[in-house]
Amino acid sequence: MRKFTYTLAVAGCTILGNIASAADPYTPGDPIHGDFETFAQGFLDKHCYECHDDLSTKGDLNLLDLGAVDETNGALWKAIWAQVALGEMPPKKKTQPEVIERLKFTDWIVNNLSQAMEDKGGFSAHLDPNKGNFIDHDLLFGSLPEGIKLVPTSSPARIWRVTPQEHITRLNELINTEAAFDPKKPGLRTHGDVVPTNHGGELKLYFGTDRITSWEGGTVAYATAVKSVPVVLSSARKHGFENYPDFYSVNSSEATQILNKAEDILEYMAYGPLSLVGMPEQITDDRKTYDAVKPEGDLRGLPTAITYSTKVTRELTPVYDLMKDPEAEVTGKSLSAAINYLFEALTFRPPTVKESADYQKIVRDSIAKIGREDGIFMGLSAIFLDRDALFRPELVEEKDSKADEHGRVMLQDWELGLAVNHALGYLQPDDQLRQAITDGRMKTKEDVEREVTRMLADDTIRKPRVLRFFRDYFDHDLAGYICKDDKAQATTGAKGGTGHYRAMFDAAASTDRLIELILEKDKDVLKELLTTQQLVATNSDSTYFGRKHTPEERDVAIAAKKKADQEIKEKIEVDLKEIAVQLADVEAKLKEKPEAKIAKTLNDEKKKLVAKKKNAERDKKRMKSNINVDVAPAKLAGDNIYARVSRNSFGTGSMKPERKLATAPEGERMGILTHPSWLVSHSDAMDNHAIHRGIWIRTRLLGGGIPDVPITVDAQLPDEPNTPLRERMRVTREKYCWTCHEKMDPLGLPFEMYNHAGLFRTTELDKPVDTSGEIIDSGDPALDGPVENAIDMIQKLSESERVEQVFVRHAFRFWMGRNEILNDAPVLQAAHKAYRDNGGSMNALITSLVTSDAFLYRRRAEK
Amino acid sequence: MISRRKSLQTIASGFGAAFGASMLPDISQAASTASGGPKRVIFFMQNQGMDPATCIPAGMKTGGSLAKAVLPEPIKALEPFKEQMHIIAGLHGKHTSPSHSAFFGALGGYRGSDGVAPSASTIDYELSKALPETLLPHLCVGMDSIENMKAKPTVANLSARGAGSPIFMHSNPNHLYQMLYGGISQGDIRNQHEAKSSMYDRIEQMAATEGKTLPSGDKQRFGEFVQGFNDMNGLRERLSKVSDHLKNFAPTVDDAYTNPEFETDWHDRILDLGISALKSGTTSVLTIGSGRGEIFGAWKGLGIEQQGHNLGHMKQPDNPIWVKIRQYNSRMLVKLMEELESVPEGSGTMMDNTLIVYTSNNANAQHTNGANWPVVLLGNCGGAFKTGQFTQLDGTRPINALYNSILRTTGVEADRFNMSDQMAAKFDSGTGPLKEILA
Repeated sequence: MRKFTYTLAVAGCTILGNIASAADPYTPGDPIHGDFETFAQGFLDKHCYECHDDLSTKGDLNLLDLGAVDETNGALWKAIWAQVALGEMPPKKKTQPEVIERLKFTDWIVNNLSQAMEDKGGFSAHLDPNKGNFIDHDLLFGSLPEGIKLVPTSSPARIWRVTPQEHITRLNELINTEAAFDPKKPGLRTHGDVVPTNHGGELKLYFGTDRITSWEGGTVAYATAVKSVPVVLSSARKHGFENYPDFYSVNSSEATQILNKAEDILEYMAYGPLSLVGMPEQITDDRKTYDAVKPEGDLRGLPTAITYSTKVTRELTPVYDLMKDPEAEVTGKSLSAAINYLFEALTFRPPTVKESADYQKIVRDSIAKIGREDGIFMGLSAIFLDRDALFRPELVEEKDSKADEHGRVMLQDWELGLAVNHALGYLQPDDQLRQAITDGRMKTKEDVEREVTRMLADDTIRKPRVLRFFRDYFDHDLAGYICKDDKAQATTGAKGGTGHYRAMFDAAASTDRLIELILEKDKDVLKELLTTQQLVATNSDSTYFGRKHTPEERDVAIAAKKKADQEIKEKIEVDLKEIAVQLADVEAKLKEKPEAKIAKTLNDEKKKLVAKKKNAERDKKRMKSNINVDVAPAKLAGDNIYARVSRNSFGTGSMKPERKLATAPEGERMGILTHPSWLVSHSDAMDNHAIHRGIWIRTRLLGGGIPDVPITVDAQLPDEPNTPLRERMRVTREKYCWTCHEKMDPLGLPFEMYNHAGLFRTTELDKPVDTSGEIIDSGDPALDGPVENAIDMIQKLSESERVEQVFVRHAFRFWMGRNEILNDAPVLQAAHKAYRDNGGSMNALITSLVTSDAFLYRRRAEK
Repeated sequence: MISRRKSLQTIASGFGAAFGASMLPDISQAASTASGGPKRVIFFMQNQGMDPATCIPAGMKTGGSLAKAVLPEPIKALEPFKEQMHIIAGLHGKHTSPSHSAFFGALGGYRGSDGVAPSASTIDYELSKALPETLLPHLCVGMDSIENMKAKPTVANLSARGAGSPIFMHSNPNHLYQMLYGGISQGDIRNQHEAKSSMYDRIEQMAATEGKTLPSGDKQRFGEFVQGFNDMNGLRERLSKVSDHLKNFAPTVDDAYTNPEFETDWHDRILDLGISALKSGTTSVLTIGSGRGEIFGAWKGLGIEQQGHNLGHMKQPDNPIWVKIRQYNSRMLVKLMEELESVPEGSGTMMDNTLIVYTSNNANAQHTNGANWPVVLLGNCGGAFKTGQFTQLDGTRPINALYNSILRTTGVEADRFNMSDQMAAKFDSGTGPLKEILA
């Protein structure tokens, strides 16, 4: 009975399928008409049932029972969408659907999934930046088949959730002063740079650290005594590219925390460090004056352990003016000054008259209920939760904005100005941009080009968003968050424990700086990033950029260390003998019972000698040479430069900005992908992560897509500590897995020339390490073929035009806040051309993108 | 659309708690969880480590009944509760980097350290989701020096609702009282409460108005934001609806709230507020951070002049200072149990359905590798846990296994808590719960 029904269904659907695949013109974004029976079943019948029916359930998949998209079969339809969009299905040996047929079918699935899942959490996989490559690269950069009709592109009208970095920068601006840009020390953290994560990798807002002059205790005591609060707005840690316009909101816990923080911030704005201390005497330029009156006992870790300078370093604002006289009347003028100041500081635009009046009412109501001081702080804190303080609107709702013939409306005035501002930085628009907005000179593409060109050319205007793009692209800042197994880490030759994590947070800052140096030259930027021999390093990086010894070298090093240790011991023994002689001499003199004054001197001398002897005996037991028997350290000499690190978060153990611009050991490194920051970011607790590395190369350089891991797969490698990773990855070479893994594993395994702490190595488990790999199915036949190692592979990839184009696609996603669609092909091609024509210029690429229709125009959806 | 339940849970880190949607449960008729596990769980985390000698009866090496054992002096106050007690030694937290404190890792079972953000949710938050819903499923409170509690009344070091999402703990009893009982108060507390409610209402109205004009795709995301205010205001409304009930449990506000002589005056009030939230049925999970998860803290009210870091450098056994601190902990634990025993629940009392986990965020010492992480459990939760005994484990199972055990008794099916198979291969000799502690 079932077979009979199927036969009838197939007979009917063959006809329907023919109808569905008729070569009507295809316009990306237009709805695909038809339901399951009249549209989709025809495609399945033509391309899928042959292998996935109840007679031939390849991959244990029978699609005969698959009906219209609904919440119960959504996961399967999503998998079908991925397989068909990526061209994985139908298999290459089978008849392939026409391009338009494939596009229509995948569009239909997305439309139907979006509707079916609307009340079940929605369907948004197609908006995920990690799936941006699901659209065929050749359709974006090659010629289109006949029948595809593109329309002028635009982005949806929308609100962007503010990013964690933007939000903490806005709050930081209210209470801290950052140094002005110093052209002589361009790498130092300056006003407008991102608020960096602290020594432990946590993003926190610090209060008053720029005025701390002393504290009691060590690093942890400092960290505990200083006031700091964690960032509130969330984002995924393993970020890749984020989608703030679609995937993020502000939940109630975040809103509550923002309110709590707001009052702390307002109090600091009003009273400065006085709001942090237990005693006003802590605000002093002479610690002794505080020591004379401070509380008794151990103050370490307490707010009372800190003294603050009397010098005001931050800008005094209308909030300070409002609160400086607790008895003063709260006038409309003083209150509106504070409200308007705060509103613009938090939303980046001035409030409307109504908005200002609304907040005045809130503050006045609060004052009436709980008094002047508490009422002002509570009332003003509401501004921190204004919609535009947490979401940046691009709604094109101005009365005079009109849609063009394609239904698009161009951003203008504040929305356009803030979009341009957001493209580069986290601060409010500078004076010139603000003036342009208020003068009505932010309405055209030329206006945008003028401002972007100006801002890009001015080093004093910091551009942390550009750096953020590269963090999202490379993911080199994750290294400090990869937990390492102590024993596995010990085998690498690198540091263990917290020292390693701190080194990795330093490494992320170093790589950031290297990226900035390459951006300063703005020439062949991607190629430089992939192939540079320069590196930015701390002193301890000589190990991380070093070479792991072979067993023979280790033996030699052990012998050298033994000898050096012996020499140290012998020297101490000589010292001990000398001390013994001196001690005997003193004791002999004491035996002679000298007069009291001399006896005291001799006894003092004796005490010193006894202590010296004790120390020397201790050193004899403990003191060793600093030879690392596991590693040949890299010689990292070069100019002194700086990297951007956090405020003092850990007392004297805080991150230090000093770096060297050095050259990598010859033949061992090539570009950022071979630096410890990137390598460790793509490792795990025990070993390298060749799969993650391979996925990175496949997606970020080759533009390929990887479907989600099927839930039936137990994605574990065997736990065999004494077996090389390549061998343990044999499980991925099983037929069921290899279809996907052949596209990633051979791209990740060339990085086996480094161990999982990022040290270069020639042996693994005492045998020559196998670093071979292969590029397959890259889309560029010139790239395909075996590679000797990561350096060989990177060299090939860095020469590829396709790789450049894929880089441009990622830049598009970042700056547009959405994935590219087929209508964006002209924008992508123009951006790539601008990049190439200007010698590989990132500035030209950014300018092209932010003056494109995709950036400038919005399409209003139904409300 | 975000579910009502989920949206309410997400308020957790805002108030240091998550608010449930339901009305307060009828305490006298409240049923046990389907699995017979706890209805409420309390984590009492004393900082600076818990030396095994301060909690394990002298001479007990291999485990066994506590019936004839004599509890060490520091926890002697718990002697009458031995039958409800299970002392566990030999769990480990080597993977949590506990020296100086594992911070979020202590309740998360993952690497933590000073300045390291949580990498996943913590057990207390997970339990707050799994246990029968209450108005305020999770409350975190912290006890510290008076200076720190005043200057930093909320800090987040121990609890988290997910990666990068810390939950704040309350340390100022005035703020906490206002949050819990503002609606039934008088005077300044009442005024503060009303002013805040009024402000929330106004912000919600403004946000709702702005949300109306958004494109359809954004309405949902923005709706989540507006819903947050709705929930916050809703909690206030729900609390006021049961104000008659709450009045029975609200502690009396005395001078120590505003003029504490010692920090312990505030510690005691914070504990009172936590107990009141449990007894009133407002909350089901209470996390107490004595020392707030850091390596400082002060107990001058106990006559201990030294404070902070040095306390951690001292040997704990037979140290008069640590005896006093641990005795103070024990008095607090006794108070918790006696108060919960005073409230009927089902055929017994609230304590019958409660589990108290008394341990440290530093394993056994301030400077430790976490190889031994002593824990004292109090309460058998209707027979779900073995009690009246000491269990010495072999140091091969992590604290995650304990957390998994508790979670499973609430009906959550999982083999591990916050531990991948790869990590487990290194750090866990078994899977599933600790059979040694489950009845």
